[in-house]
Formats: sequence, structure tokens, C-alpha cells
Amino acid sequence: MNILTMLWKNLRRGYQTLLFPARPKVTARFRGLVQFDPAFCTGCAVCRMRCTSRAIEFKAGKGEFTWSYNPGQCTFCGRCVEGCVEHALKEGHTEHALSQQQDTPPIYVTQGELKKSYTVARRPPAPKPAAAPVATPTPNPAVGGTQ
Amino acid sequence: MNPMLTALARMLIFPGLLFAVPAAWFFLWVERKAVARMQERVGPPFMQPFWDFMKLLGKSTPPRPGIAGFIMRAWPLIAVGSAAGAVGLLPVLPLSGGFEGDLILLLALLELPSICIIAAGFSSRSIFGEIGSAREAALSVSYNIVFLLAIVSIAASQHTFRLEALAAMHPTFLTVLGIVAILICLPAKLHINPFSLPNAEQEIYSGPMTEYAGPELAMWELAHGLEWVAATGLVATLVAPHIALAWGTSLLAGCLFVVLSVAVVLLLSVLAAATARLAIDSSVRFYWQCTLIFAVLAISSALFVRFWL
Amino acid sequence: MKLWKRLMCTARRKSPWLFHMNSGSCNGCDIEIIAALSPRYDAEQLGVLLQGSPRHADILVVTGPVTNKAVNAVKTVYDQVCGPKAVVAIGSCPATTNVYIDSRTLSGPLDKHIPVDVYVPGCPPRPDAIIAGVVKAAVLLAERGMNATAGPPPLAQNASGSAQDDSSVGSGVVREVQP
Repeated sequence: MNILTMLWKNLRRGYQTLLFPARPKVTARFRGLVQFDPAFCTGCAVCRMRCTSRAIEFKAGKGEFTWSYNPGQCTFCGRCVEGCVEHALKEGHTEHALSQQQDTPPIYVTQGELKKSYTVARRPPAPKPAAAPVATPTPNPAVGGTQ
Repeated sequence: MNPMLTALARMLIFPGLLFAVPAAWFFLWVERKAVARMQERVGPPFMQPFWDFMKLLGKSTPPRPGIAGFIMRAWPLIAVGSAAGAVGLLPVLPLSGGFEGDLILLLALLELPSICIIAAGFSSRSIFGEIGSAREAALSVSYNIVFLLAIVSIAASQHTFRLEALAAMHPTFLTVLGIVAILICLPAKLHINPFSLPNAEQEIYSGPMTEYAGPELAMWELAHGLEWVAATGLVATLVAPHIALAWGTSLLAGCLFVVLSVAVVLLLSVLAAATARLAIDSSVRFYWQCTLIFAVLAISSALFVRFWL
Repeated sequence: MKLWKRLMCTARRKSPWLFHMNSGSCNGCDIEIIAALSPRYDAEQLGVLLQGSPRHADILVVTGPVTNKAVNAVKTVYDQVCGPKAVVAIGSCPATTNVYIDSRTLSGPLDKHIPVDVYVPGCPPRPDAIIAGVVKAAVLLAERGMNATAGPPPLAQNASGSAQDDSSVGSGVVREVQP
């Protein structure tokens, strides 16, 4: 009899489904795509070291460096963001370059489509970030193929 | 009118193929939607079984050379043909003709889709098909005895094997007993919970139907829908007495028939939503131990009433 | 004939049947696929059914980085799905082998073996993202049916396709796209 009362209650209450295009809100600590802010990056590459799945690539050049991130490779663990925050605190800065978006990553159709690269010019290591850095975000989908 | 022409019209137009196929889709939708609503889900939109059918018609089938392929393709067509024929025999409107013994023909035609499923599982030469067919065969033997005994008891107590006459009868205690026995056999006949083991998904890779694809699968789904219409129509025939006066009330009787069939579908959906799947030994034991006594009681009292009262 | 084709393409968009294949996954994505069929997200409102046999399905939903022992299984199951078909790679593992990138028991990402149509990133992706991915695959099947020249995407190492605008996916695609 218990199941029949349950069915009747379900019928009375109506459906609890989210109708198709509606998506539920994620919680405050949801870990989504990693966001990079070139204004605050010092090029320490702690994030590349801490990344568990090699989603972050770091190429040091002469006076500049290239930071790239492949969300398809990412496992959304948040270790890169933690490392960035710790390193920034250790150096005495209050802002850090990495943060995590609180939204679900988008679906895509071509391999490597969501990969993003940034080339950031190194700035002199002043305690206050006075000099304006030169940053050119270059979306670069075909780098590295299927890593 | 020419009896051949009437028979053809009943078979192909009303209540045959032309009306039975949309009715099959409608009943399938009612079942899925009712189960979904009872599980607090939205369920599929109204035209969903139609879209499933259309999509399956457009898919390719794997190559099946030789006689085995021909036999494999024949089973779904036989199933659809016999189920549509069974629906064509139903007395939806009063005074729609019929012949002595058409109840027997209806039962035989209603039996064929299960036999086709069993044969299809074996002829597809896949191990999952064989297991599914063996289970379906065991279940079929068990519920058929109860089903046939219940129907025979109702017919014997009314002294007739004609669907028209059975439609017009007034229910007595014996017929109510028989109808309850038939309702208990219907979940096994229609492969719904708790007796849905033969074509259980994720249990044996969908059983006898494993190797079927594309238009053949569309035919199987259609046969399943037609089985729903025929089986619930049979129950509706036995339940409601026909009041055949003028043309107006016969249309009303037809609508009542459809409403009763949908009520049976809803009843079976409640059962399907409320229960889980029983294993094959439990299902067989249920039909042999619990319901057989019931059916034997019904038929012996029918014979008693017929011959000694 | 044109009407029949349009009818068929609408049917493909409205009735995507899935077959779920696990090629070595940790089961996180598999659990989220089951959650997508649960009452809260209810994929059946779009006609999505989980089928028991690959021959019954049109969309093959694959989870897991492809382990060495699963390669043949994945290829066999892909061949058993009857056309027209689409493949959705759920999670980051089939797309890029995720954290298992240096493992010697893996046979590379999924598109080395079978052509993949839609990638749903996440570890695991949320059930609503999975449903959005399946819907996108269904729309792709319908579009592919309408222009019969376009076929499934080529295998791996060839990421030069145009970047699609994915922001349209979450906004009622099933009801807006005309076949």
C-alpha cells in the first residue's frame, strides 16, 4: 500500500523536472573553467607544475611567456588556482592571475576547440604592479592536437 | 453487403489497420506518460511513438543474407499482421457482425505475437536472443493456461463463443472472477513490470530483439502497441454491456469502449510503476501457484453452472 | 520526396535513442548519465531512451579513456550501431584522456578509433550538460540527413573545423531548429 500512496502523492505534486533548456544554478563553490587574467600573472609557472592533467602549458621566451589552457584536458580540480593564490600571498601580492568560473563548461564539436593561449610580456618585478603589462590574448585552437 | 468486403473493411479500415495503428501509438503514449507522471517526471510529448516509428523506418539494417535473413525479417511482419487482425475482430461498435467462434480466432491471433518473439529470438542466433526467448517461452506457458481457462469459463457460463454476444452480456459474479483473472495475466502478455523480464534492458541486452534494427524494430514496436489495443479491447468487451438501440447510442457505446480500454491501460501503468521486475522463477511460480487455483475455480464453477443448474 | 525527407529529419531530431558504452571509465560520468535520466533532469521529455542493444540506438554515448583492452570492444560496438549514427564523448577522458595522459594502459583519446561528433567536457559533466550534448548530436543527425553530402567528421589529428557557437545550445534548440 505504501507504494500506491507514494504514486498518488507523486501525481498530486506534479512533475519535479527541469524543462529542457532550463539548467539548475550551480553552488557557490562550483569549480568550472579556469580564467586567466594576464594583468596579474608573474610567470612563476606554479600552475603548470601543479596541474594534474597537463591542461596548462607554459613556454618561457625572451622577455615574454606564453600561457595556454585546454579545457578539454582539464579535470577541474582547482590545484592551479590554489597554487597561484599561495604563491601570490607569499610574494606579498593581493591579486592573483587564476580564478575559477562558477559555471559549467560549454560543449564543443571539434577537438581542441576550446583551447586558449595568452602571450604576456614580462614586467619588471616591482612590489607594486605599476608598469602596465602588454598582453595579447591569441586564441589558438590547433596547437598540440590531441593532448 | 458482400461478407468478404465487410471483412476486408473491418480488417483494414475500422477497427483494423487504419484505426488500430494510431490507437496503438496513442496507447503506448498513455502508458509511458502515466508511468512518467507517477515517477514525478514529465514524460514524452504526445507524438513521441509516432516519431520513434518514423525514425526507425529511416535507419539501415545490417546485412542478413540467405534464408535466415528472410525468416528473421518475416517474424515482425507476422506479428504486426496477427495483432492488427486481432484488433480488427473487436466489436467496438455494437451490431458490427462477427461469427460464431470469433473469440477463439481472437485468442489465437493474440497468441501469435508472443510466438513470433520467441521464434525471433532463436532465429537471430545471438546468445542474448536465445536466453530472452527461453524466458519468454517459460512465462508464456505459465500465464496462457490461466488466461485461456479464464476466458473459457466466461464463455461457457454465457453459452457462447461469439464476441458480439459476450459484449452484450451482463456481468455476473463468475464473469467478474474471470475478468480479474484476465487482468492479472495481462502484464505478462504485454511485457510490463512486474513480468517484463523477457525484454528487459540491461538485463540481457534487450533479449529476443537484440539483433533487430531499423524498420524491423519499427514493426516490433508497432506489434507491441497493437497487442496493447487488442488485449485492453478484449477486457473492455467483456466488461461493458452494449446497449445497441439507434445509431447515436452505438457511437456512444464505441466511445465507452475506447474509454474503458484507456482505463485498463492506466490500471496496468499503475501496476508497472509500482512494481519492480520479478525474476523468471518468481514469475512462473506466481502464475502456477497463485493464479492457477483461481482459474481452475472459475472454470469448474462455470461448468457446474452450465451443466447442473 | 522532400516532405518525406523533412519528416524523417524531424523524427531523427525528436527521437534520439542512446546506447551507453563504458571504455574504462571511473564511472563518474556513467553515474551522471543515469542522473540525466532521473526525474529531476528527465531526458525522456525530449524522447531520449536508453536502449539495451547497440542495434537499437542512434547515438553512442561513450565514457572513459579508451583502455587497451577496450579498443576492439569500442570499435565493434560502433560498427554494430546502425546508421545514421552519432557519437558523443562524455567527460574529459574520451576527449583527451584527462589525468591519465601518460598511462601505458591507454590507447589514446576516443577520436583515434571512431569519429566523434560532440564533446561534453567536465569531470564529470553535469547531467544538464550531458542532455545538451545529446540534443546537439540529435540536431546534427537531422542536419546531416537534410544535406546528404555532409558525413561524419574525419578521424583524429584534424582539428581544423570551424569553431561552432556553443552558446545557442542551452536556449531551446530542440524547439527552434527547423528541419
